Amino acid sequence: MILQIKEISIFSEIFLSISIIFLTLHGVFLSYNKFNKFLLLQNSILSLAVLILVMSSFLIFNEHLFILDYLSFNYSISNDYLSFLTKILIGVITIFFLLIIEQYLLDQKINHFEYILIILYSVLGLFLLCSANDLITAYLAIELQSLSFYLLAAFKKNSTFSIEAGLKYFILGAFSSGLFLFGASIVYGVVGSINFDDFKDLFFWLSPGNKFEFLQTNLLQFGLTFILISLFFKLALVPFHLWAPDVYEKSPTSSSFFFAVVPKIAIFVLLLRICYYSFFGFIDCWRYYIIIISFLSVLVGSFAGLEQRKLKSLMAYSSISHMGYLLISFSTGSIEGIQMLFNYIIIYMISGFCIWGIFILTRLKNNYSKKGNKDLGDLTLLKKSNKILAFVFSLTLFSVAGLPPMVGFFVKFGVFLSAIEASMYFVALFNILFSVISTFYYIRIIKILYFEKILVGKLYYPIKTEKFIIIFLFFYLFIFLFINPTFLYLISYKVSLLFF
Amino acid sequence: MVEHWNHNPKDKGSKPFFIKFMFLNSLSYFFSNIIILSCFMVIFVNNSILSTLFLVLSFIAASCLLFLFECEFIALMFVIIYVGAIAVLFLFVVMMLNVKTINLTKNNFKYLPFAFFVGVVFLIESFLIISQNFKNNSYYQKIFLNSYKNWYDKLDSLTEIEIIGQIIYTHYVLQFLVAGLILFLVVIGAVILTADFSYKNLKNQSSYKQLSRKYQNVLLI
Repeated sequence: MILQIKEISIFSEIFLSISIIFLTLHGVFLSYNKFNKFLLLQNSILSLAVLILVMSSFLIFNEHLFILDYLSFNYSISNDYLSFLTKILIGVITIFFLLIIEQYLLDQKINHFEYILIILYSVLGLFLLCSANDLITAYLAIELQSLSFYLLAAFKKNSTFSIEAGLKYFILGAFSSGLFLFGASIVYGVVGSINFDDFKDLFFWLSPGNKFEFLQTNLLQFGLTFILISLFFKLALVPFHLWAPDVYEKSPTSSSFFFAVVPKIAIFVLLLRICYYSFFGFIDCWRYYIIIISFLSVLVGSFAGLEQRKLKSLMAYSSISHMGYLLISFSTGSIEGIQMLFNYIIIYMISGFCIWGIFILTRLKNNYSKKGNKDLGDLTLLKKSNKILAFVFSLTLFSVAGLPPMVGFFVKFGVFLSAIEASMYFVALFNILFSVISTFYYIRIIKILYFEKILVGKLYYPIKTEKFIIIFLFFYLFIFLFINPTFLYLISYKVSLLFF
Repeated sequence: MVEHWNHNPKDKGSKPFFIKFMFLNSLSYFFSNIIILSCFMVIFVNNSILSTLFLVLSFIAASCLLFLFECEFIALMFVIIYVGAIAVLFLFVVMMLNVKTINLTKNNFKYLPFAFFVGVVFLIESFLIISQNFKNNSYYQKIFLNSYKNWYDKLDSLTEIEIIGQIIYTHYVLQFLVAGLILFLVVIGAVILTADFSYKNLKNQSSYKQLSRKYQNVLLI
């Protein structure tokens, strides 16, 4: 069989997997060796991992989509603009993430070099998930990604909290993977294929609003519901969210940074491929309960966030409510909805990166900080000790809350606009009200940063300039994209148009 | 199953055929009931060795069921992998680890009513949908006409291992490699989470302790 150039598509994944294996061998032979006296390799491995990720993002960037076949590897990998864009986003964000967490790993004495290897593994899983075009590939990619997440959550072996978080994440994740497999097997039993392209070819003639009188599709919808529920488990939407605050709170901060910021986009890509690409005719079936779930998750994310005293669980609830907003624009069923979804998720990743990055970089000067869990009170009067950091933090929070001088306003506005265009007036109205409520806890953090009535604030270790430049780069994007959002709108519009 | 096979006009009334499928049906019901019962026992039995043995029983019954469906290769793999490796591994874990006996039987029934309720609702719903869907062939005389195909002409005489090999190594190469990567990741994770590289607390086998263990006081869950 002659393999043509246009069929070889996933260079970046192949490169990443081979280099992970080489990195493992390198680390094992150097580090676990009596003669080398168990060298600590994690800094050099971290730099190598950054290099590998830069190269694989470069490989993605060089993939010319118009030369490649649309589907490759027996129709199981799709090379479209959606996977291209999301893979680049994930790669770039992970590079900066690795650069930011370096100091934290030193402080927390996470000395095994495998931590970084596992992060690379999860990036590989996310890349595969972005380009998966059938249910088996998607399942394997989800497994690769979530198994590495369980390990990341449980990585700090000497802390019971971390072990508990890992165990909890593992049990619930395994449960949701089981649901995915159950749903996928039902879908396979009914349709006779696992390929998204086949689904599209089989069900293209079902237009929305059809009553399917001549074809019973109950069992298919049953299986589809299970697949969606398992993906909602991974996204931590409301009836399935109970693991999220615990896991975020108890696992090491660098791990929960990664859980919160990076993987959501890949799961949304899979959701888009299932609900829009293959089963768009069934939109009347999945739409209503998706709207209910999004409504509930915005509700719980806004109200339960008011009670939180720890910054990490606060961010967990905030991420739950953001997933709710994303699901609103997901359920509209229009091209504008997908465009707004992408706008929102890109800004969500950037702003989440800023907040978690600042959170991980501020290190208190006392023994208490070794515990790694920060109360909101630990940030009191950050204005006095580090003026620019406080300024950046507060403006990022404004953007997350959706206040006008930042780009967060535009994307939230876009989500509600797409909901109103799809005549979901009540959903839009109530979600705007909930969004006002959730603004309260963002502004409370700003009040703690600036206007606390205490004479003595906290002292922090100085932050390295290189790290702060990264944060400031992302912060600059907020203002730049507010002044000139064309770039954001252009790429998201291209994704949403080329997707169908 | 029986009624379905009787629809075949050639074999109508032929007794050996009917008896064969009767026999296969009853055997498959028998083995699937054994699977369900042993799964229940795995959960509800207090002694963990007994529950592991019930796990082995459920695997063996599943492989028997696969033999009935003529998937010999997968059935043998089931026996070798699950019964041979995993169950023995479980037994080793149970025998070696000195986990203190904790009696959790009281808490077991705390959530039982709610779980029972949810499970029954789920079961009824799935039964309803499945029975609704397979009552009649929804494609029959509708849009997609089923044309008659003699499947025996279409079959190649390939053995099962050949077919699985062809599928794995040509159609699903990528997925096969990803599964290998997942196993690699799991090995790394297991080593990290369990191994302790300091010299102070090396784990040694104390044969006295192992020999003095008895069947009664192995950990209860």
